[in-house]
This record gives sequence, C-alpha cells and structure tokens, in this order.
Amino acid sequence: MSAREIVLSLALIEGAHLARIVDDFRELMRDRAVEDPAVRRLTPSAYPQDQAAAKAFADSTRDELLDRRLDEATIVSTALDPFDVDVDVLSEEDALALRDLVIAEQEIDAWLRTLTAIRLVIADRLGITTEDQTTDDARGGIYDWLGYRLEVLIQAADDLDERRGR
Amino acid sequence: MSTPIAVPDLEEITDLQAAPLEPWEVVVWNDPVNLRSYVVRVFRTYFGYSTERATALMLAVHHDGHAIVATGPRETMEVHAQAMHDYGLWATVRKVGG
Repeated sequence: MSAREIVLSLALIEGAHLARIVDDFRELMRDRAVEDPAVRRLTPSAYPQDQAAAKAFADSTRDELLDRRLDEATIVSTALDPFDVDVDVLSEEDALALRDLVIAEQEIDAWLRTLTAIRLVIADRLGITTEDQTTDDARGGIYDWLGYRLEVLIQAADDLDERRGR
Repeated sequence: MSTPIAVPDLEEITDLQAAPLEPWEVVVWNDPVNLRSYVVRVFRTYFGYSTERATALMLAVHHDGHAIVATGPRETMEVHAQAMHDYGLWATVRKVGG
C-alpha cells in the first residue's frame, strides 16, 4: 500500500524562507485590515453589480473565510517546523542541504490554498496585472519561486489522485 | 436491505412545480496569478468534473475572460462561490441571463 502523502525535497534555506513568508501571511490574516487590497482580493465581491447583495454575502462569509486561511496557514507553518532555523548562522553547506517535507494527503488542499493565497497577496503588492510580467523587485523572485513550488505540488497531488483512480 | 421509501405528499409536489425556479450561475473570472493546472484541479476536485471538462472551463476562463462553472438555486451558487474564493479564484454569482 502506497503512503497517502507527498514528499518534497527542499533546501533548508528554502524551507526557512518559506516558513517566514507563511508567518507573515498569518499575521496579515490576523490583522485582516478591511481596506487592504490584498485582503480584499482574498475576499472578493460575489455581486459586483449589487451592493446590498455583496454586503450580505461578505457579512456572512468574510470572517470565516479569513479564519480558514489562517487555520490552513497554521497547518503549513507547523509542517515547516523542521525548517525553523536561523538562516544567518547556517554554513552554506547546511543551508543547501536537502530535507524532506512531508505533506499528508488530508493537508494537501491547505497547502495549495495557502500557497495560492500568498501568491495573490504578493501579486497585489507587486502590482502584477498580466501574466508573464517581469519585475526587478526582489519579491518577484519569491513570487516565481512560489509558483514553481506550487506547480510541483499540484502535479504531485494530481498524480496521487490518478493512482487512486479518481 | 432496503428502507421503505416515504411516499411524497402530493400537495408538496404541486407546490414545487408551481414555484418559479429562478436559476442562478457562478462565474469564474480570469486573473493573471492562478496557475492553469491549479484552476483545472479546483474544477475537477471541487465540482467533480472530468479532467476534459475542467480543462475546457479553465481555457474558457483564460481566453474569454470568464466562464460559467455552475448553475442552480441561488443558495447553492453562493456556497460554490464561497468555495471558489477559498481556493483564491475570483467568482461571482448572478441570475442566469443577467
């Protein structure tokens, strides 16, 4: 019987950076400033043409939706505990050493939604409005890297489904 | 083992048929961030669509700017829209033909 999990190989320094990004995201979800456009992107209007319906929908869904983002980011953060190191004191060899990141099947969606939400936030901060947009901002590198990791994770999740005949 | 099936009240059936069924729809809009493979996966795993149908819907979102991904009662469509928002997709609800 094959294990119902995905194992990703991550350099210690990659995992440590990711852990920090996820923690920043958790803070954003705890603050959930109404006027923050990134937070608004995560809670978009369901009725752009109908203000009253939009408000009713937002009133009944927004907080719970952001609670779920926070809870799922916490699952991701916990999984990244083995990568919780002080990167400044790492030797280059240690920083690049690969470690296994194990994602249980029931936590895959939490990972996919969290990485997606973080990419949406970074895209908003960078002002990304078209595909294949390039930027000199250092965060652009993080954005691309997250996209690559997410793509790998989606492929692994799809493969897992296929093996189960779903 | 079978369970006896309750006989539906005839009155109820008449009421249901008489009630105007206003269909609503969920529209997913294109955005420059979400990965194509991700959008296909969301349509496939959440709605239970085949890979072919999910891929066709993803391509419609990409090329036409939006696609109708579900149709039905308003309450159900709002549940779907909320789920799409959970996945980071930009979804709206509207009356069919609206």
